[in-house]
Order: sequence, then C-alpha cells, then structure tokens
Amino acid sequence: MSTIRHRSRSLLVVALALVAGTALAGPPKGKGGKGTSKGSGSGSGSGGDAGEIQMDDNGSGSAAGSAAGSAAGSDAGGEIEMDNPDQGSGSKDLAADLAAQDKGANIVQEGPVKKTPVSWKDIVVVVRKPFLKVRRTELTPFVATTMNDNMIQHYAAGGEFAYWLTDVLGIGVEGQYFTHTFSSTYDLVARQSRRLPTINDYLWSAALDFHYVPVYGKFAVLDRHLVTWESYFTAGIGAGESEVVPRDTKFPGFTNFLIEPNIGVNMRFFLAKWLTINLGIRDYMFIDKFEPTNRGEMGGMCVNCTGSEAQNNADSAFINNIMFQIGVSFWVPTSFDYTTFR
Amino acid sequence: MFTKQTIILGAVLAGTLLATAHQAQAQHRTNDLEKDVAVRHRRLLVAHRFEVTPLFESSIDADYEHTVGGGLKLEYHLSDMLSIGVVGVASTSIQTSLTNKIVGTLPDMDPGPNDKTPSQTQFLDHLNTIPFHGAAYVSLTPWYGKLAAFSSAFVAFDFYFQAGVAFAQLDSSCPSSVCNDTHPGTMGSDGSSPELNPKYDPPLNSGTKPGLYLGGGVHVFLSDFLALDLTVRDYAFSDNPSGADYNADLYVGNSAKLGDDNRFLHHLFFGAGLSVMLPATVKRTP
Repeated sequence: MSTIRHRSRSLLVVALALVAGTALAGPPKGKGGKGTSKGSGSGSGSGGDAGEIQMDDNGSGSAAGSAAGSAAGSDAGGEIEMDNPDQGSGSKDLAADLAAQDKGANIVQEGPVKKTPVSWKDIVVVVRKPFLKVRRTELTPFVATTMNDNMIQHYAAGGEFAYWLTDVLGIGVEGQYFTHTFSSTYDLVARQSRRLPTINDYLWSAALDFHYVPVYGKFAVLDRHLVTWESYFTAGIGAGESEVVPRDTKFPGFTNFLIEPNIGVNMRFFLAKWLTINLGIRDYMFIDKFEPTNRGEMGGMCVNCTGSEAQNNADSAFINNIMFQIGVSFWVPTSFDYTTFR
Repeated sequence: MFTKQTIILGAVLAGTLLATAHQAQAQHRTNDLEKDVAVRHRRLLVAHRFEVTPLFESSIDADYEHTVGGGLKLEYHLSDMLSIGVVGVASTSIQTSLTNKIVGTLPDMDPGPNDKTPSQTQFLDHLNTIPFHGAAYVSLTPWYGKLAAFSSAFVAFDFYFQAGVAFAQLDSSCPSSVCNDTHPGTMGSDGSSPELNPKYDPPLNSGTKPGLYLGGGVHVFLSDFLALDLTVRDYAFSDNPSGADYNADLYVGNSAKLGDDNRFLHHLFFGAGLSVMLPATVKRTP
C-alpha cells in the first residue's frame, strides 16, 4: 500500500510538472478559458482558498456548472474581483458610439474622389540599426597623410574625442601632430629648373568638429559576410601652426599661427558594439604665409634676412591641405540598449 | 512526510531533468542559414550584363600638366563578381600651379650654355602631355550592398577592383630651334664633345608606352539599368614628365646604355561616369 501511495505521489509530482510545462507553453487564455478554470476549481475542492482569482460576472447569471465554485470562493478574503460594475453604462456608451458611427457613415462626399494607389513607396520598412551612437563617446586615434601636395608629404598622428548628441549628430575635438618628408619633385625642381621651391611644413592643428550622418547602409563581402557602414560629413573650425622651410639655410625661418576651418567626408565600418574603423578625407583650409622670394644680399643690403622681416614681407596664399585619415574608434559605453521595439 | 523512495525518485527525476538541460546546452546548434548566401532574392544588377559607360576623367596630383578628358568604358560581367573590360580616354592638358610658379620665375630668354637654367620656352617645350590613354582589365566585385541617404533614398551599390594592362600615348613637341643638341651625351660626328646641358636636349618623352593598370571604384545604382560609376585609376608606365635630366648625368637619354631618364611612374586619375547596363531588366537570385 505504501508503495502504491508513494508512486501515486510521485506521479502527482510529474503530472504537476507536466501541467506547469504545458501552461508555460500554452497560449494565453482570454474569456474563452473561463469555464475551464471554474470547472477544475470546483472539482478539486480547492476553489475556496484565499487568493483565488475570480473572473465571474456577478450579474451575468453564469452557467450552472460554475456556480459551485463561485459560491465556495466568493466569501473568502483577498479575492481579486474583475467584475464590471458599470456594465449598464458601458452598454449605453456603445449605443452612443454606434449612433455616432451610423451618423458618420451617412455622410456622402460629393465630387470626384482622388484615388491614391498604393505603391512600394508606401511601405516603410523600419529596420533596427545594428549600432547606436546616441549619447555615446567616441575616442579615435588616427593617422593621416597629405593627398594634394607633390612637393612635401605630411604625415600626421592624432586623435579625436567626440560625443554624439543623437544618432546622426556629433560634436568633437581633434588634434594632430605633423611630420613630413620631401617628395622627389622637390629635388627635381631644384636640379632641373634651378629653382628652389618655397614651401611650409605643418607642425600641429586642433579643431572643434561637428559630424552629421546622412548615409548608412550595409554590404555583403564575397556574398557571405554582411558589414554595416555609414558615411558622414564633418565641418569644423580650428587652429594650427606652420613653419617656413628656408630656401637658404643660413636664413632663419618663421612660424605662422593659422585659423583653419575644415570640411570632410568620412566612412565608418562597424566591427563591434564598441569598435569601428573610420576612413575619411578632410580639407583643412587656411591662409598661410610663405618666405618672400626676395631674400638675401641686394644692393649691399640684406633684405628680409631676419625672421621678423621675412614674416612681415611674406607672401600669403590660400591653402587647401587635403588629408586622408584612417583611424579606429573606441566607443564608451561599450554597449547600448535599444529604446524602441524591433 | 516524504519517504526514502520518494526522495530517491525525486532526486532521479531532478537529475534527469538537469542532465537533459545540460545536454541541450552542450549540443551544437546548427542553422540551415549558416551556409546560405548573405542576401536572398537579390537583384543581379551586373551579372551577365554589358556595361557601357561614358566617363569623365581627371588626373590627381599631377606634377606639371593636369590631364582632363572624356572616354568610354566597355565591360562585360561574366558573373556577379567577375568581369572583363576596356577603357579609353582622350584628354587635353592644363598646366598645374607648380608649372605656373616655375615659369613665372624663369628668364624669358636663354641665359646661355654656361647656365643650366632653362628659359620659359625651354622648360615648357620639354613637358609632355597624355592625349590618349586606356587599359584592358579584369574586374572583381567582392562587395555589394544597399545604403539609405537622408532616410529617404535607398540605393544599391557595389565596390570593385580592377587590374590589367595599360597604355598611354605621350606627346611632346620641342622644336629643333629649342632642342638643338644633335648628340646629347655623346661625341658629335664632327668630333665635338658632348654639350652636357640638358636644356638643349630633345625631351625623349613621347610615344606609346605600355604599362600596368590598377583601379578601384563604386557603382551607385540609380535604377535597374543606370548607375553612377566613380573610379580611381592608376595607369603606371615609363615616363619623364619634365623631359629634363633625371639621373643627373647632365643629358637626356632614353636607353639603358646611355642612361634612361624615364622611370616607371604611377599616374593617378579620378573618373566619373554614367553606366548603362544592358539588357535593361534584371534577374533575381533564388
């Protein structure tokens, strides 16, 4: 007997587990499930326990099969009532709503009806972006090189600290330090044309930048891997310093403080939630001062021989310093949460 | 009260459940999509189509003469990733700001044989131009995708890379009145010694030059059969743009024996064109 009782208890445990599993996996029940709940409650004899959820309607005069359970549980404390005491007034509202609907349905529009055919443009597919930038900070070390100077090649190492106000608008500060090499044309002009080029090299620059992202997309690599990317414009204002490279090394050079607005276009490839690769072209625009062409002994006088004299008589020119930049961005916080549903 | 058997049975049941759950976690989950292509029902915008592209091309960062011109690109896409094509561009030349600056400081007249400084005419007449150039190439298109511009325009694009052979027709016309050294770097027929002033030597930088070609670009599809084609091309061939002495032997030569002032140079160009894809209709992948 004891074995049978134990087995029955064990079977009860398994049955409960299965029921629980079924309940978890089953679809949510609405009003259609009401009768089943009542039937099981009354049949098991546990319907009168405190905390029972009663979904009866007091004034509805429900089926007889549920009456036993309702009667047993209705007096218990802690019961959650889901009755609708204002059922009568609700019915009144429905009638008013129906009347209003009928009234609206009787309105007939006169004149030609404009037909608006549905096209693919009416279907707006909102795909959740795989990368969010809003309220995140971007730290970008980068390297850069000159693209449009065939006399002197500048290389720069720098960094940018940007904060993204929205997913498309960011504000940042950047700084870079330059070094340079002379290209072969610099030597050739001197040797072939007997003319020493007048050039400046750049020392450093810093800028306050604004970024705007109008383009984003994704592409497949070799028909296998999807990579998400975006393109953004940059505009900023900053400062920098250039230095004259004297044609004759016996004369001193001088430095120029530069006001440098810049514009640029960039691409960003998303590798992880905290890591991106950036490529960009930036045009730093400024008015630079160059070593004057008349410098040296002239008529027994040394013309523009000091640095300040040369700077005062310097030749000015508007310069577009176009640079190619490549960098890696680290994003803080390192992850993000979506605030909208997919 | 729970008996010993109940506890054992419960423990066995719990252990079985845990073991099953553990096995389920450890089991390697495979997805049928794992080996599938990245995009289904994709429009095959280039596969088995003929591409005709009238284009504009301009040199990038040229030293002495900008090359600006128009041409045509013909390409057949053997598959979605592989294609073959040719491109040819007829050009005119514009002097660079470097040339203008140099010319502005050079003397109008020849200062004489004892001064190696060229006159303005001698300098300009040694420069060469590229009136016609082109390439035959194989193109690989490993990237394709779609972008949204200003959240309103959704367009397809692809990136491609090209490699092949290039050719260039170079032209320089230094008249004999300017380039009048008949035996640069060598003894004259009358026994005269070499002049060793390269500003009187013929530039020797004209003619047809074969070379290598590299390119990379992007198609931005405006419709199923029209695409904006942006390309950076590198035509690399032997050249001496200044027509002057490069190897510092004091004369201009173009042979290995006498010293060649030509060297293998990269000529970068930016091209923009409008590609017409034929046939105009596209197929889709499964």
